[in-house]
Amino acid sequence: MSKEPTMRRAIFACVIPLLLLLGIGEAAAHALLDRAEPRVGNTVATAPSEVTLWFTQKLEAAFSSMTVTDSAGQRVDTGKARVSGSQMSVSLRGGGAGIYRVNWRVLSVDAHRTEGNFTVQVGR
Amino acid sequence: MDWQVDRVNGALGIVRAIHFSATAVVAGTLIFRAVVTEPASHSAEAIAFGKQASRVAAVGLAIAVVSGAIWLPVQAANITDRPFEEAMTTDLLSTVVAETQFGLILEIRIVLAIILAVCLAYDHLATMRRVGLLSALGLVAAIAWTGHAGAGVGDLAMLHLAVDVLHIIAAAAWLGGLVSLVLLFTMVRCGDYAWKSFATEATNRFSNLGIAAVGTLFFTGIVNARILVGSVHALITTEYGRLLALKLALFAGMVAFAAINRFWLTPRLLLSKESATQSNPVGQITRNSLIEIVLGLAIYGIVGVLGTLHPAIHSL
Repeated sequence: MSKEPTMRRAIFACVIPLLLLLGIGEAAAHALLDRAEPRVGNTVATAPSEVTLWFTQKLEAAFSSMTVTDSAGQRVDTGKARVSGSQMSVSLRGGGAGIYRVNWRVLSVDAHRTEGNFTVQVGR
Repeated sequence: MDWQVDRVNGALGIVRAIHFSATAVVAGTLIFRAVVTEPASHSAEAIAFGKQASRVAAVGLAIAVVSGAIWLPVQAANITDRPFEEAMTTDLLSTVVAETQFGLILEIRIVLAIILAVCLAYDHLATMRRVGLLSALGLVAAIAWTGHAGAGVGDLAMLHLAVDVLHIIAAAAWLGGLVSLVLLFTMVRCGDYAWKSFATEATNRFSNLGIAAVGTLFFTGIVNARILVGSVHALITTEYGRLLALKLALFAGMVAFAAINRFWLTPRLLLSKESATQSNPVGQITRNSLIEIVLGLAIYGIVGVLGTLHPAIHSL
């Protein structure tokens, strides 16, 4: 007679946390671009000295890279990107005004590859 | 080139599944011995079982080492999108070992595997059994750092990692415990009343370990699902989510057989020990445990593949 309410309580105790946890919020599970400096799509007065990207997961430095090209498609980065945790930076040579394109390709430490690109307007 | 990528992904899923299963059997067998049979008795039966359990752990360790060695070049091929033949270069393999988190964890696990092998060789010493158990726990828990849980940043990532470690150890305790239980009942069939008494006590203790493992798997599984799937919609509509749903169904099947063993057959085992007229449920418990093992191995097969997929939370 007392088993049924006990069973019902046990089912609620199991199912409710499941529904609550599946029903709310969002969390990251492989390396997506979280933010960038200069910011994605932003306009800056002068060419930045470096571009820094922050990702949602830790990166493998040996298998992650970033290039920056100017309006003419010429590389303006100085070479190999530096990786620290979930952050990747590359220095830039001085460049003129125009649209700079940042291309990134990263491997998160759980071995998932992601890639993407965005632009930054330099000057008017 | 797509078929080559598929080939590498398929191989990665298979090698991970074999490696995870073998490592789980190693750790679970030693957990079973330390938590179930050693505290239950110091009799000749317990010692004889302990030796057999050690042999099972040694076989599991050998499979884990071989599959772990294969995992490295397959992982290298996977992360560079190259066919196996091109990935098998010293340069690439040494880069993966020396410059990735996977490589670091691999090195740590090799050391743990060597310590464990030495401990199993000198298993008659109590200290070596304790160190062996700790090495086995480290060997299985370190897997968490090779997957999704090991890649996060921030407080949620720490929670995910801690939960994943618990999940992996609980899964190992269950699967390895079942293998040990079947081993024990196989020995009981060849033994006398003392064996039966020992097995009954051990089965009773394993029931408690099983309940703790299932409870831990359930709640840590919920947290993992929250982080990697995120919504019921993603559970239903993504490849990752559907595979996870299949895993949950198999888990439910395991729980059902475990419940029959725990609540129906184990009490009968106690009765049959006291009365010669009661039918002996050893055969039924063994059969159910074997079914649970098959379901458990199928779950490890799914886990092997899940780690190669983008989690559902980002696949929508």
